[in-house]
Amino acid sequence: MLVSIQNIREIPKKVASTNRQYLAVGIFAMLMLTIPLGAGVYPNTVMVEVGFYSIVTMGLILVMGFAGQISLGHAALFGCGAYVSGILTTQYHFSPWLALFLAAVFTGGVAAIVGRAMFRMHGLILAGVTLALNLVFFHLISSLSDLTGGAMGMMNIPPLSLGGFTSQNLLFNYYLLWIIAILLLMFSLNLANSRVGRALRSLNAYAGGSEDAAQVLGVNIMKYKVWVFVLSAVYASIAGSIYAHYTRIIEPGTFMLQFSALVALMAIIGGRSSPWGAFLGAGLIVGIRQLLQEFIPALVGGPSGSYELIAYGIILVVALLFLPQGLFPIVQKAMPKKKAIMS
Amino acid sequence: MKVNLAGMKSVAVPKKERRSGAVDAPLLEVRNVSMAFGVLTVLNGVSFSVPVGNILVMIGPNGAGKSTLLKLISGLLPLQEGEVWFRQKRLNRIAPHRIASLGITQLFQDIQLFSNMSVIENVMVGCHLRAKADFMSSGLRLPRARVDEQSVLATAMSQLSLVGLEQKAWANPGSLSWGQQKLVGLARALATGSELLLLDEPYSGLLTVEVDKLNQLILELQRQGITTLIVEHLTDILMGIANQVIVLDHGEKIAEGTPAEVQHNKRVIDAYLGSEQMADEGS
Repeated sequence: MLVSIQNIREIPKKVASTNRQYLAVGIFAMLMLTIPLGAGVYPNTVMVEVGFYSIVTMGLILVMGFAGQISLGHAALFGCGAYVSGILTTQYHFSPWLALFLAAVFTGGVAAIVGRAMFRMHGLILAGVTLALNLVFFHLISSLSDLTGGAMGMMNIPPLSLGGFTSQNLLFNYYLLWIIAILLLMFSLNLANSRVGRALRSLNAYAGGSEDAAQVLGVNIMKYKVWVFVLSAVYASIAGSIYAHYTRIIEPGTFMLQFSALVALMAIIGGRSSPWGAFLGAGLIVGIRQLLQEFIPALVGGPSGSYELIAYGIILVVALLFLPQGLFPIVQKAMPKKKAIMS
Repeated sequence: MKVNLAGMKSVAVPKKERRSGAVDAPLLEVRNVSMAFGVLTVLNGVSFSVPVGNILVMIGPNGAGKSTLLKLISGLLPLQEGEVWFRQKRLNRIAPHRIASLGITQLFQDIQLFSNMSVIENVMVGCHLRAKADFMSSGLRLPRARVDEQSVLATAMSQLSLVGLEQKAWANPGSLSWGQQKLVGLARALATGSELLLLDEPYSGLLTVEVDKLNQLILELQRQGITTLIVEHLTDILMGIANQVIVLDHGEKIAEGTPAEVQHNKRVIDAYLGSEQMADEGS
């Protein structure tokens, strides 16, 4: 039987469903860009926090959800971006925008070197090694006090500025962060539906892929693991740099294991099968955290931090038991039906 | 069933090499390959060669080392002793993806379709080496990535048509029958454009009609110059299509020749065919 022209003509129709993704991104972008207009300072501040976490989580989803590689070291990558940006602008007086770019290149470079060694390992050992990244980063930052300010951290990091606005301005920061988040979402979705995305999914043994099968089809599994980790590091670095220029103060305690665990939790809750999961996970967890910070001290007294950890633990267990694929598939099912090429 | 390979662009031997006469050399040469897992010797000094366009069938009882040998050729297992040559290039210590890019691919006994992708996407992964789109061009959806994607999609669809499953293109592989999954696996392997197909028990679990279809397909591939190395238990089916048969027993090659020669080889009868006959008589 010959390949009918009709079959080939059907292909663009199927691919057209990716246009639906663009439509979804467009609607999402409109929504996110109009939210701050009617909202007050508090909701906008919370949404900025969601934006930071969404970018880092999106990168992690590419590594975990697509390539099936565990990473519990994203705090180090986020911190690397923040510190390199901070050092370049405060110590060497680079422009903050250039610093942001160089920080992403540096963090990506570090991820490439670390990734080559790291991805020779699998499973729990890989998880352990990525966990160790947080510790190495923490001790490195703490001990290089001349450059980083040590345990005291760095202060007076200059803000990003554009057209007379600076990232000290909440709205400027909101738009900057969310425009970048939406652009990275587009990039990630394009990647997911491409040759690269398929190669990444082919080696995800946790979701039905097979490294052996991928290799005999010509997929260089080490290259893809390392490159997706590099990309993920660049995402984290961009978020870290913006964070540093937004808060203007950074200290090592921000970039510890708890941050990595939180981002992993967001990826699990939101759904690892799609970059959209990052926004769902980050939105939900940050929202819950805000509620806990608001209500728990009022109800039972004491600081909310200890309750947060308990809440995260409960959320994780519940999610793994009842929503192992995260929230995204549920949201996807609730959306108007029209068969997409891939979930 | 009529099989049409019109959709296949990448066919075995490049014209340049046909002209140069390089095709006279064996496509694949396995020289004195041995393999042991700890104290267990799985292969012991196995040597053979496969000319271009041949259908070589490797038979042997369970544990004879057939599947291990396929994995050594495709690079999934590192060679401990001996050499594997493909088109006069030594494959020792070459990574599996590089071996695939040289023109060897494998269909696994358990198929290993990617259940996190649709059927067509599985086959599109098979086209991985045909495309060049990288992280940046894919993420930015640059024109060359879009063109690449369209071409890969069309090629993948043509491979699916080849095995008669184009109607299942958008299905999940898990929803297909075992036989259909095998055909998708074959389409995926063919999509690589490889010159040498390593098929590990491709007939197991197939219905009679599917066996006939697969036989026809393999014969058609042979006509197109594609070389096939099949590891199988179902000897009767294969004797009709094989040019060359190798029999392994306990990791050693005990016979090699045409199907007729091997069928009359006493060692083979004793080690393998004989035991089947005895089993048949017993039943």
